[in-house]
Amino acid sequence: MKSKHLTKTMLAAGAVAAAAGKALAQTDAAVDQSLAMLKTYDWGNDRNTLNAIDKAILDSHGDAAARRALEKKLVDLLVGGISRSAQDYVCRKLRVIGTVQSVDALAALLQAEETSHIARYALECIPDDKAVDAIRTALPKVSNKLKPGIIGSLGKRRDTKSIPSIAKLLGDSDVDVAQAAAEALAMIGTPTVAAPLIAFAKQARSDRKVAFADACLVCADRLLAEGRKTDAVAIYKALSGDDQPKHVKVAAMKGMLTAAAKK
Amino acid sequence: MANQRSKPTQGAGAWLGRRTFLKTAAGAAALPYFIPASALGQDGSSAPSNRIVMAGIGIGNMGRGDLGAFLGRGDVQYVAVCDVKRDVRDGSVNRVNEKYGNKDCKAYNDFREIMAREDIDAVHCATPDHWHAIIVIEACRNGKDIYCQKPETKTLREGKLMIDAARRYSRVVSGGSQRVLEDYRKIVDACWNGDKGIVKSINVNVGPLPTDCNKNGEPIPDGFDWDRWLGPAPWSPYHPHRCSGSYSIDGTSWRSFKDYSGGGMTDWGAHHFGGATFAIDVRELEPEEVIFHHENGRKFATCRYPDGKLIHHNYPGRGNLDVEGTNEKGPSEPVPGYAGSGGIYGDFIDCVKTRKRPFRDIEYAVHTANVCHLFLVAYELERSLKWDTKKQQFVNDDEANRLVDYARREPWVI
Repeated sequence: MKSKHLTKTMLAAGAVAAAAGKALAQTDAAVDQSLAMLKTYDWGNDRNTLNAIDKAILDSHGDAAARRALEKKLVDLLVGGISRSAQDYVCRKLRVIGTVQSVDALAALLQAEETSHIARYALECIPDDKAVDAIRTALPKVSNKLKPGIIGSLGKRRDTKSIPSIAKLLGDSDVDVAQAAAEALAMIGTPTVAAPLIAFAKQARSDRKVAFADACLVCADRLLAEGRKTDAVAIYKALSGDDQPKHVKVAAMKGMLTAAAKK
Repeated sequence: MANQRSKPTQGAGAWLGRRTFLKTAAGAAALPYFIPASALGQDGSSAPSNRIVMAGIGIGNMGRGDLGAFLGRGDVQYVAVCDVKRDVRDGSVNRVNEKYGNKDCKAYNDFREIMAREDIDAVHCATPDHWHAIIVIEACRNGKDIYCQKPETKTLREGKLMIDAARRYSRVVSGGSQRVLEDYRKIVDACWNGDKGIVKSINVNVGPLPTDCNKNGEPIPDGFDWDRWLGPAPWSPYHPHRCSGSYSIDGTSWRSFKDYSGGGMTDWGAHHFGGATFAIDVRELEPEEVIFHHENGRKFATCRYPDGKLIHHNYPGRGNLDVEGTNEKGPSEPVPGYAGSGGIYGDFIDCVKTRKRPFRDIEYAVHTANVCHLFLVAYELERSLKWDTKKQQFVNDDEANRLVDYARREPWVI
């Protein structure tokens, strides 16, 4: 009786394993088929033909090895040369599952006007320091058109190593570059960025005065929230003079009152 | 009229233009100074000027309606419109100029030119959702009040940035769902009157979720600035379905696609979840957990608030805004409402004058939008998530945190 039961259990287990293996094989086949389709995928093609990859990403959550393998296949496609639409798809997926192994392939896209943004779309989210290194390295190499995006990504990552090179761009003749530099420094928000931000806010041309003042206030608010009251108050004070627009002065005064109320 | 200055009467500030006056008053509201009611025109005397000078950004579809509502008010002077479609721009300029019988209304393709105009007090924004945060923040830092259509945010990160900007500059920032107060009165009244007892949960049925878009390129119509329409969103070739303002969410409008919208979840969700959070009185809170369910082939989800209340999405067997409570009679509370007259538009204008927070203050609007975004992330990843409301991050989930925001296309940085 006992032996019969054991046999039945083993048979059932074998059947389940076989079924699972078959399902896995089918899934793998579907994923491989979708990956193959990416080689010729272009605008206008049916997006549903890539659904097996989406599903594989969901199913592999918590399985680092499976994720790495899938990521590697996507990176290989990116390196191998695919259409702009396929690049778009791959970068969107790497935004979610990308690791250090995606960085070089994405970094290679940063300097081209057509792909710089979609590469950042993924790179900005990859937590590894190598991703930020790649974005920082690209900064002096990209055109002025692309610089605000690169600067913005460095700001969002609060990359303190970028402070000197971003600070130099505060005086750039391109207003988008200069404003992006101010906003990025505000996002980084360390006491080190206060001095250059204040200096530029005080002498800013009219077309960038508001952006620079805002960057100072954002930075001050961040410093205050992090307990650096003295650093914050120094910024608020610098913006409370008559050289600033009235609403900026009022915001700076409000900041000083908030700081005064803080222990 | 709007740019005329009142004759000096008495005391300091008598020569202040209305805009200068409002900016000063806004600051004073945050500072320990007293503004006499007479100066604000609240006691029947003349204010520095009697009209709010306004401009509209994104004036097709919903923006057209918003423009009409503000244009129809006697206390608003409409002076500028901005849209990336030339025909929409020109049509709106003509409409405004016909109303006033002059040619004073100016048209812009770049909203930043409107923000730079010092004579403009307030703007309304009805662009596609992926533009909202950039425009709201830019308005605040230029000292302008703003009425922003719903859904106010595209991502979780944007909400805090918008609230911070509004508070930093003491701006009046109103979200744009009139339905929150107007469409769900029966259930809101029942909850606030205590008829439902202690409220445990409410359900919202709404959809569909947004999808990716891979439509083929077509020639860009003459007079349409496609690059600016895309703005911070990833580049893609022009296709009319990507940018159609149609209210359908079936793959033929921008409301269908992830790059520009949260689909039905945020589009109608801004109304329904706004009504739901109002009804069960969690407008000031954010959920701290979203629970993903997959049962019998059906996916649905639940947000849990710090006070234990639940908001379900598409809970099987429950109707839209269906409240579960203990049903014994509880205490009654007065239901908040609009200030001024003229619905949500009047509420905004009244608050611009009084410097009070509007009914659909940006903080409440963001909290509603965040419910939608938390559901979207949970559905995208198909798992339950914990949300740290202070850090504005998911707890111990790197993958979910990658979906809190997205890298914007240059030159747009926030």
